[in-house]
Amino acid sequence: MKIAIAGKGGSGKTTIAGTLARVLARSTGHGVLAIDADSNPNLGVTLGLTRDEVSRLRPLDRSIVERIPDGEGKTKAVLARPAAEIVREYSTMTRDDVALLLMGRVEHAGAG
Amino acid sequence: MCSAHGAVRVLLGEIVGSEERPTIVDIEAGLEHLSRGTARNVDTLLAVLEPYYKSMETAARITELAHELGIPNVYCVANKVRSEDDGKALREFASQRNMNVIASIPDDVTMGKADRAGVAPLDFDASSPAVRAISDLAAHLHRS
Repeated sequence: MKIAIAGKGGSGKTTIAGTLARVLARSTGHGVLAIDADSNPNLGVTLGLTRDEVSRLRPLDRSIVERIPDGEGKTKAVLARPAAEIVREYSTMTRDDVALLLMGRVEHAGAG
Repeated sequence: MCSAHGAVRVLLGEIVGSEERPTIVDIEAGLEHLSRGTARNVDTLLAVLEPYYKSMETAARITELAHELGIPNVYCVANKVRSEDDGKALREFASQRNMNVIASIPDDVTMGKADRAGVAPLDFDASSPAVRAISDLAAHLHRS
């Protein structure tokens, strides 16, 4: 089950995303991965973290990006390490066995 | 092409695709940042809409894009529904725009209270009408 949630800012999508993640985790018993890919990351609070804990979350950074030749004289971005390893390292366990991963912004990774 | 954003998109798709647990991705307001890579790796898109025109228009556009991207299940979730009139307006709009509304979450003062307290709605009051409606939505998605 891989669900993306979109909507206009202020529509309540983050509250729905967080609550949905926890309810699903409770009902399936297998844990859930919640990814905050919004530019105004706030998913952590609806998952049960305090604002202080949310402010200390470590977002994904440029070290996970590797640029390799794409075969046409340019480069393309790929994961520098296996995805599972990155998720383990960067995600934070919240309530109800929901792990939170903050995409953040991979600023200027390989820019130029 | 902004390579910083491009990198984020590529990575998000790969991470979602290789994850074994059920995964929920809270994405940017529209679908501008949902790449084909990410779209290929999600099976369901939920477009959240409120019962007013601009929000419904945005959700309609998200729904169209999601279909174009080939996401198998594209649903709408109505939020902050205040009255039967709201519900009726939403249903009429949705039926004209080929939108499948699978949940209607009532406007609930508890959500604002939880937000001001800095507490998750589920921890603030798990029996509030909005939380119960989201639980019903989870059950619906779990079944399908």
